[in-house]
Amino acid sequence: MTELGIVDIREIIRTIKTVYDYDFTNYALTSFKQRLERLMVNYGISNPESLLIKLREDLPFFDPFLYEIAVPSTEMFRDPSLWRWLREEYFPSALARNTGKIKIWLPACVSGAELYSLAILLTESGWLDKVSITASSFSNKGIEAIRQGSYEAKKMEVSEENYKRFNGIKELSAYYKADHGILFRQVSLIDTVEFKKLNINFDNAPQNNKLILFRNNLIYYNPTHQDKVLRLLHESLSVSGTLITGIRERIPGVNTGRDFEVLNESESVYRKRLPN
Amino acid sequence: MNYKAVIIGGSAGSFQVVTKILSALPKTFPLPVLLCLHRLKHVRSGFVEALSLKSGIPVEEPYDKEMMRPGKAYLAPANYHMYIELANRIALSTEDTVNHSRPSIDLSFITAANAYREKLVGIILSGANKDGALGLKKVCDNGGITIVQDPAECEVKTMTQSALQLTRVDFVYTTDQIISYLIKLK
Repeated sequence: MTELGIVDIREIIRTIKTVYDYDFTNYALTSFKQRLERLMVNYGISNPESLLIKLREDLPFFDPFLYEIAVPSTEMFRDPSLWRWLREEYFPSALARNTGKIKIWLPACVSGAELYSLAILLTESGWLDKVSITASSFSNKGIEAIRQGSYEAKKMEVSEENYKRFNGIKELSAYYKADHGILFRQVSLIDTVEFKKLNINFDNAPQNNKLILFRNNLIYYNPTHQDKVLRLLHESLSVSGTLITGIRERIPGVNTGRDFEVLNESESVYRKRLPN
Repeated sequence: MNYKAVIIGGSAGSFQVVTKILSALPKTFPLPVLLCLHRLKHVRSGFVEALSLKSGIPVEEPYDKEMMRPGKAYLAPANYHMYIELANRIALSTEDTVNHSRPSIDLSFITAANAYREKLVGIILSGANKDGALGLKKVCDNGGITIVQDPAECEVKTMTQSALQLTRVDFVYTTDQIISYLIKLK
């Protein structure tokens, strides 16, 4: 495997900015480097020069490129205690307070693990028709993969264990079929989900969301981009809307009470602060 | 030599060793200590508390992009990889497992070796798989100090032996020797 140097990475970022007007400057360096190196292995690209040429000349390659750069969730029902909290506390209280549908947004889906987990939770509780879900992805390839329902079989063992800890009412295997080592999830779960390709600068975000599920995505940005994305997420939330981030992601300024207040500290759940 | 950080990797049989090392470090220990220890993916709490009990320095699980401080130990959180970025920041990741592990010792060591070059001390302890061997080699290739716990003392020898096969390390030390080496560091 070729190890990319910092000069190579800067050149790749510059090229993407020039050709596609996408700016990866403020992505976290180490993980971005790893994603690029992994992509090169997967596409048989042996050196940085070849990657640069492909980026300049093979324009349709950019969509799968965006798909490969994004990091999928590790498994379904990651952090079962969060999913239990959603089922037992968040939704009952949100449903009691709202007459209309609860608008939910998942900004950066890659494998759809979070989306399918949410859909299973809502189906089992009979709430699927009480919400409207928008799932976005940075690539069309990502949207296609989620719609198709395919999923890596090796992630199912941990997912099954998580589902048990979530106290789901069935077996997780009730929601997928295996075919030649590839799993296909039951796509009817996501029939009502609206899909939308999101620009990486978030400028076409859906608005007025009651709940945003954005876990373990901020870790792939540096603090500058984290701040910017958090501001855009804040804007796209409805009054006192809820944002869920990854367990070890921290919202700067939350303790000083700027934009968000803590709703559930151990599960990293925040509420949009009302303007003073 | 003024070192910038110490990084320790371990798996099965390493908990007692890490506890003993941490308990011997003075409050004024001049470097950050990075701990990448294999742990259960779904158990988020308890580990850092257990390590803190007897530690001479504070032990915490870092948040993403947290700045490392001297005299503090940072434990890779459950189900995250822990990378060391330039400018003393810790970055977390949920990328795929490496050697069936997340956190991966190799990834923590490789990124720390890239960030600190010859100013890093890397230590591999008892463990049941080969994770860490490639990472320690990277520390060595970049000019850092490499230490492996004496396999004779290890509860499980696979990890230390794999590291020794891949790298001509600077020191093979018992726990007590590791401690006396560390407390002399500046």
